Amino acid sequence: MNRSGNLDTVAPDDQITESLKTEKKITELGEPVDPELRQKVYDILGHTKHALSAFLVRPHVFSFKERDEEEEILVALRPHWMTNVGWILIAIAMTLGPTLIKSLALINGLPAKYQILGGLFWYLTTFAFAFEKFLSWYFDVYIITDERVVDIDFNNLLNKKFSEAKLSMIQDVTSRQIGMGQTMFNYGQVLIQTAAEINELRFDNIPNPDKIVKVLQLMREEEDMEAIKGRTK
Amino acid sequence: MFDVGNVLMMVERVIAILGTTIYLIFAVVIVKQVTTMTHQIKDKFNGILIAFSYLHLLFSLLLALLSWTLL
Repeated sequence: MNRSGNLDTVAPDDQITESLKTEKKITELGEPVDPELRQKVYDILGHTKHALSAFLVRPHVFSFKERDEEEEILVALRPHWMTNVGWILIAIAMTLGPTLIKSLALINGLPAKYQILGGLFWYLTTFAFAFEKFLSWYFDVYIITDERVVDIDFNNLLNKKFSEAKLSMIQDVTSRQIGMGQTMFNYGQVLIQTAAEINELRFDNIPNPDKIVKVLQLMREEEDMEAIKGRTK
Repeated sequence: MFDVGNVLMMVERVIAILGTTIYLIFAVVIVKQVTTMTHQIKDKFNGILIAFSYLHLLFSLLLALLSWTLL
Protein backbone atom coordinates (compact mmCIF):
# COMPACT_ATOMS: atom_id res chain seq x y z
CA MET A 1 0.00 0.00 0.00
CA ASN A 2 1.33 3.43 -0.91
CA ARG A 3 1.71 5.74 2.07
CA SER A 4 1.22 9.47 1.91
CA GLY A 5 4.28 11.67 2.41
CA ASN A 6 2.47 13.65 5.07
CA LEU A 7 1.25 11.09 7.60
CA ASP A 8 -0.64 13.71 9.63
CA THR A 9 -3.12 14.17 6.81
CA VAL A 10 -3.86 10.43 6.79
CA ALA A 11 -3.82 9.74 10.51
CA PRO A 12 -3.47 12.93 12.49
CA ASP A 13 -1.84 12.03 15.78
CA ASP A 14 -0.64 15.44 16.83
CA GLN A 15 -2.99 15.77 19.78
CA ILE A 16 -2.05 12.43 21.30
CA THR A 17 1.69 13.06 20.90
CA GLU A 18 1.32 16.57 22.29
CA SER A 19 -0.63 15.47 25.35
CA LEU A 20 1.93 12.75 26.07
CA LYS A 21 4.73 15.28 25.77
CA THR A 22 3.00 17.71 28.13
CA GLU A 23 2.35 14.98 30.67
CA LYS A 24 6.00 13.92 30.54
CA LYS A 25 7.15 17.51 30.94
CA ILE A 26 5.01 18.08 34.05
CA THR A 27 6.15 14.88 35.73
CA GLU A 28 9.80 15.64 34.97
CA LEU A 29 9.76 19.27 36.01
CA GLY A 30 7.39 19.08 38.94
CA GLU A 31 5.20 22.13 39.55
CA PRO A 32 5.44 24.48 36.53
CA VAL A 33 6.68 27.99 37.37
CA ASP A 34 3.95 30.59 37.43
CA PRO A 35 4.29 32.50 34.13
CA GLU A 36 2.71 35.60 35.67
CA LEU A 37 5.38 35.76 38.35
CA ARG A 38 8.08 35.19 35.76
CA GLN A 39 6.73 38.12 33.70
CA LYS A 40 6.68 40.32 36.81
CA VAL A 41 10.31 39.44 37.50
CA TYR A 42 11.37 40.26 33.95
CA ASP A 43 9.40 43.52 34.07
CA ILE A 44 11.43 44.55 37.12
CA LEU A 45 14.78 43.42 35.68
CA GLY A 46 14.37 44.95 32.22
CA HIS A 47 16.66 43.95 29.33
CA THR A 48 20.31 43.23 28.77
CA LYS A 49 21.95 45.56 26.29
CA HIS A 50 25.05 43.53 25.36
CA ALA A 51 26.62 40.15 26.02
CA LEU A 52 29.46 41.59 28.16
CA SER A 53 27.01 43.32 30.44
CA ALA A 54 27.32 42.93 34.20
CA PHE A 55 23.54 42.46 34.35
CA LEU A 56 22.49 39.56 32.12
CA VAL A 57 18.74 39.15 32.18
CA ARG A 58 17.50 35.74 31.00
CA PRO A 59 20.81 34.87 29.35
CA HIS A 60 20.56 32.38 26.49
CA VAL A 61 24.19 31.28 26.28
CA PHE A 62 25.17 31.60 29.94
CA SER A 63 25.14 28.48 32.12
CA PHE A 64 26.99 26.94 35.07
CA LYS A 65 28.13 23.42 35.85
CA GLU A 66 25.87 22.81 38.87
CA ARG A 67 22.74 23.94 37.06
CA ASP A 68 19.85 21.49 36.90
CA GLU A 69 18.47 20.77 33.46
CA GLU A 70 15.09 22.37 34.17
CA GLU A 71 16.46 25.29 36.17
CA GLU A 72 15.94 28.65 34.49
CA ILE A 73 18.46 31.44 35.01
CA LEU A 74 16.56 34.66 35.63
CA VAL A 75 19.57 36.91 35.93
CA ALA A 76 23.35 36.52 36.01
CA LEU A 77 25.33 39.30 37.63
CA ARG A 78 28.93 40.40 37.61
CA PRO A 79 30.52 43.31 39.48
CA HIS A 80 29.73 46.69 37.90
CA TRP A 81 32.10 47.79 35.11
CA MET A 82 33.23 50.72 37.26
CA THR A 83 35.14 48.21 39.41
CA ASN A 84 37.36 47.58 36.36
CA VAL A 85 38.44 51.18 35.83
CA GLY A 86 41.38 50.99 38.26
CA TRP A 87 43.16 48.05 36.65
CA ILE A 88 42.38 49.30 33.12
CA LEU A 89 44.18 52.57 33.91
CA ILE A 90 47.13 50.66 35.40
CA ALA A 91 47.29 48.43 32.29
CA ILE A 92 47.30 51.49 30.01
CA ALA A 93 50.10 53.05 32.07
CA MET A 94 52.07 49.80 31.91
CA THR A 95 51.63 49.65 28.11
CA LEU A 96 52.95 53.18 27.75
CA GLY A 97 55.83 52.50 30.18
CA PRO A 98 58.48 51.26 27.67
CA THR A 99 57.81 54.21 25.31
CA LEU A 100 58.40 56.61 28.20
CA ILE A 101 61.58 54.80 29.28
CA LYS A 102 62.87 54.84 25.68
CA SER A 103 62.12 58.54 25.26
CA LEU A 104 64.04 59.28 28.45
CA ALA A 105 66.97 57.20 27.12
CA LEU A 106 67.15 55.20 30.35
CA ILE A 107 68.02 51.82 28.83
CA ASN A 108 70.12 52.86 25.86
CA GLY A 109 73.23 51.46 27.52
CA LEU A 110 71.85 47.91 27.55
CA PRO A 111 72.69 45.48 24.69
CA ALA A 112 69.96 45.17 22.00
CA LYS A 113 69.09 41.56 22.86
CA TYR A 114 68.38 42.54 26.46
CA GLN A 115 66.20 45.41 25.27
CA ILE A 116 64.20 43.10 22.98
CA LEU A 117 63.76 40.42 25.64
CA GLY A 118 62.98 43.02 28.32
CA GLY A 119 60.36 44.65 26.09
CA LEU A 120 58.72 41.34 25.24
CA PHE A 121 58.73 40.31 28.90
CA TRP A 122 57.22 43.63 29.94
CA TYR A 123 54.37 43.49 27.41
CA LEU A 124 53.62 39.86 28.29
CA THR A 125 53.49 40.75 31.98
CA THR A 126 51.17 43.66 31.20
CA PHE A 127 48.92 41.36 29.19
CA ALA A 128 48.93 38.72 31.95
CA PHE A 129 48.06 41.37 34.55
CA ALA A 130 45.11 42.69 32.50
CA PHE A 131 43.99 39.19 31.54
CA GLU A 132 44.01 37.99 35.17
CA LYS A 133 42.01 41.03 36.26
CA PHE A 134 39.52 40.49 33.46
CA LEU A 135 39.16 36.81 34.35
CA SER A 136 38.55 37.68 38.01
CA TRP A 137 35.75 39.99 36.91
CA TYR A 138 34.30 37.75 34.21
CA PHE A 139 34.13 34.63 36.37
CA ASP A 140 32.97 36.33 39.56
CA VAL A 141 29.27 35.68 39.03
CA TYR A 142 26.12 35.83 41.05
CA ILE A 143 23.15 33.97 39.67
CA ILE A 144 19.46 34.05 40.48
CA THR A 145 17.50 31.13 39.10
CA ASP A 146 13.88 30.16 39.60
CA GLU A 147 15.01 27.82 42.40
CA ARG A 148 18.00 29.37 44.17
CA VAL A 149 20.62 32.09 44.42
CA VAL A 150 24.18 31.13 43.57
CA ASP A 151 27.53 32.80 44.18
CA ILE A 152 30.48 31.47 42.19
CA ASP A 153 33.82 32.99 43.01
CA PHE A 154 37.36 32.17 41.93
CA ASN A 155 39.47 33.68 44.70
CA ASN A 156 42.87 33.15 43.16
CA LEU A 157 44.39 31.07 40.40
CA LEU A 158 42.72 27.72 41.02
CA ASN A 159 40.55 28.27 44.07
CA LYS A 160 36.82 28.03 43.42
CA LYS A 161 34.07 28.89 45.88
CA PHE A 162 30.48 27.85 45.21
CA SER A 163 27.73 29.02 47.57
CA GLU A 164 24.01 28.62 47.08
CA ALA A 165 20.75 29.10 48.94
CA LYS A 166 17.29 27.90 47.97
CA LEU A 167 14.78 30.71 47.50
CA SER A 168 12.63 29.17 50.24
CA MET A 169 15.58 29.52 52.66
CA ILE A 170 15.92 33.27 52.18
CA GLN A 171 14.95 35.18 55.31
CA ASP A 172 15.98 38.74 54.67
CA VAL A 173 17.41 40.76 51.78
CA THR A 174 19.05 44.15 52.13
CA SER A 175 20.97 46.37 49.75
CA ARG A 176 23.69 48.86 50.52
CA GLN A 177 25.26 51.61 48.42
CA ILE A 178 28.21 53.39 49.93
CA GLY A 179 29.98 56.43 48.55
CA MET A 180 29.55 58.75 45.61
CA GLY A 181 30.70 56.30 42.93
CA GLN A 182 28.20 53.60 43.91
CA THR A 183 25.35 56.10 44.16
CA MET A 184 26.21 57.81 40.86
CA PHE A 185 26.62 54.61 38.86
CA ASN A 186 23.92 52.70 40.74
CA TYR A 187 25.80 49.71 42.03
CA GLY A 188 26.35 48.24 45.46
CA GLN A 189 26.04 45.31 47.78
CA VAL A 190 23.13 42.94 48.35
CA LEU A 191 23.10 40.94 51.57
CA ILE A 192 20.97 37.82 51.63
CA GLN A 193 20.31 36.29 55.03
CA THR A 194 19.34 32.64 54.80
CA ALA A 195 18.22 29.78 57.01
CA ALA A 196 20.60 27.49 55.18
CA GLU A 197 24.01 26.25 56.33
CA ILE A 198 25.66 29.30 54.78
CA ASN A 199 23.70 31.95 56.63
CA GLU A 200 24.70 34.89 54.50
CA LEU A 201 25.30 35.41 50.80
CA ARG A 202 26.86 38.66 49.73
CA PHE A 203 26.63 40.04 46.21
CA ASP A 204 29.37 42.68 45.98
CA ASN A 205 29.39 45.66 43.61
CA ILE A 206 26.47 44.46 41.54
CA PRO A 207 24.53 46.84 39.29
CA ASN A 208 20.94 47.78 40.20
CA PRO A 209 20.92 46.32 43.74
CA ASP A 210 17.41 47.70 44.37
CA LYS A 211 16.03 45.65 41.46
CA ILE A 212 17.68 42.50 42.80
CA VAL A 213 16.19 43.11 46.25
CA LYS A 214 12.72 43.55 44.70
CA VAL A 215 13.03 40.38 42.64
CA LEU A 216 14.26 38.32 45.58
CA GLN A 217 11.45 39.61 47.78
CA LEU A 218 8.91 38.75 45.09
CA MET A 219 10.32 35.27 44.64
CA ARG A 220 10.44 34.71 48.39
CA GLU A 221 6.80 35.78 48.79
CA GLU A 222 5.87 33.35 46.04
CA GLU A 223 7.76 30.56 47.82
CA ASP A 224 5.95 31.42 51.07
CA MET A 225 2.58 31.32 49.29
CA GLU A 226 3.42 27.95 47.79
CA ALA A 227 4.39 26.65 51.22
CA ILE A 228 1.07 27.85 52.72
CA LYS A 229 -0.86 26.29 49.82
CA GLY A 230 1.00 23.05 50.36
CA ARG A 231 0.05 23.05 54.04
CA THR A 232 -3.68 23.74 53.42
CA LYS A 233 -3.85 20.98 50.81
CA MET B 1 91.77 35.75 36.44
CA PHE B 2 88.52 36.68 38.23
CA ASP B 3 86.52 39.07 36.01
CA VAL B 4 83.64 40.96 37.66
CA GLY B 5 82.09 41.79 34.25
CA ASN B 6 81.90 38.12 33.30
CA VAL B 7 80.35 37.16 36.63
CA LEU B 8 77.73 39.91 36.27
CA MET B 9 76.90 38.75 32.75
CA MET B 10 76.53 35.19 34.03
CA VAL B 11 74.24 36.34 36.86
CA GLU B 12 72.12 38.35 34.39
CA ARG B 13 71.87 35.33 32.11
CA VAL B 14 70.84 33.00 34.94
CA ILE B 15 68.23 35.48 36.22
CA ALA B 16 66.79 35.99 32.72
CA ILE B 17 66.61 32.26 31.93
CA LEU B 18 65.15 31.44 35.33
CA GLY B 19 62.66 34.31 35.06
CA THR B 20 61.40 33.33 31.61
CA THR B 21 61.14 29.67 32.65
CA ILE B 22 59.07 30.58 35.70
CA TYR B 23 56.94 32.82 33.47
CA LEU B 24 56.39 29.90 31.10
CA ILE B 25 55.11 27.80 34.02
CA PHE B 26 52.85 30.70 35.00
CA ALA B 27 51.46 30.78 31.43
CA VAL B 28 50.66 27.05 31.64
CA VAL B 29 48.84 27.70 34.94
CA ILE B 30 46.79 30.44 33.26
CA VAL B 31 45.74 28.02 30.49
CA LYS B 32 44.74 25.49 33.14
CA GLN B 33 42.88 28.17 35.08
CA VAL B 34 40.93 29.40 32.04
CA THR B 35 40.06 25.83 31.07
CA THR B 36 38.75 25.11 34.60
CA MET B 37 36.79 28.36 34.75
CA THR B 38 35.20 27.93 31.34
CA HIS B 39 34.27 24.40 32.32
CA GLN B 40 32.44 25.75 35.38
CA ILE B 41 30.77 28.73 33.74
CA LYS B 42 29.68 28.71 30.15
CA ASP B 43 29.29 32.02 28.37
CA LYS B 44 29.60 33.60 24.95
CA PHE B 45 33.23 34.68 25.20
CA ASN B 46 34.73 31.50 26.64
CA GLY B 47 36.24 30.50 23.29
CA ILE B 48 38.00 33.85 22.93
CA LEU B 49 39.39 33.61 26.48
CA ILE B 50 40.78 30.13 25.84
CA ALA B 51 42.34 31.38 22.59
CA PHE B 52 43.96 34.31 24.44
CA SER B 53 45.37 32.02 27.14
CA TYR B 54 46.97 29.77 24.50
CA LEU B 55 48.29 32.81 22.62
CA HIS B 56 49.85 34.02 25.85
CA LEU B 57 51.40 30.59 26.39
CA LEU B 58 52.81 30.66 22.85
CA PHE B 59 54.44 34.07 23.39
CA SER B 60 55.81 32.92 26.76
CA LEU B 61 57.36 29.91 25.07
CA LEU B 62 58.84 32.21 22.43
CA LEU B 63 60.28 34.43 25.17
CA ALA B 64 61.78 31.43 26.97
CA LEU B 65 63.29 30.10 23.73
CA LEU B 66 64.72 33.53 22.91
CA SER B 67 66.28 33.86 26.35
CA TRP B 68 67.78 30.37 26.14
CA THR B 69 69.25 30.97 22.68
CA LEU B 70 70.12 34.69 22.66
CA LEU B 71 71.67 35.00 26.10
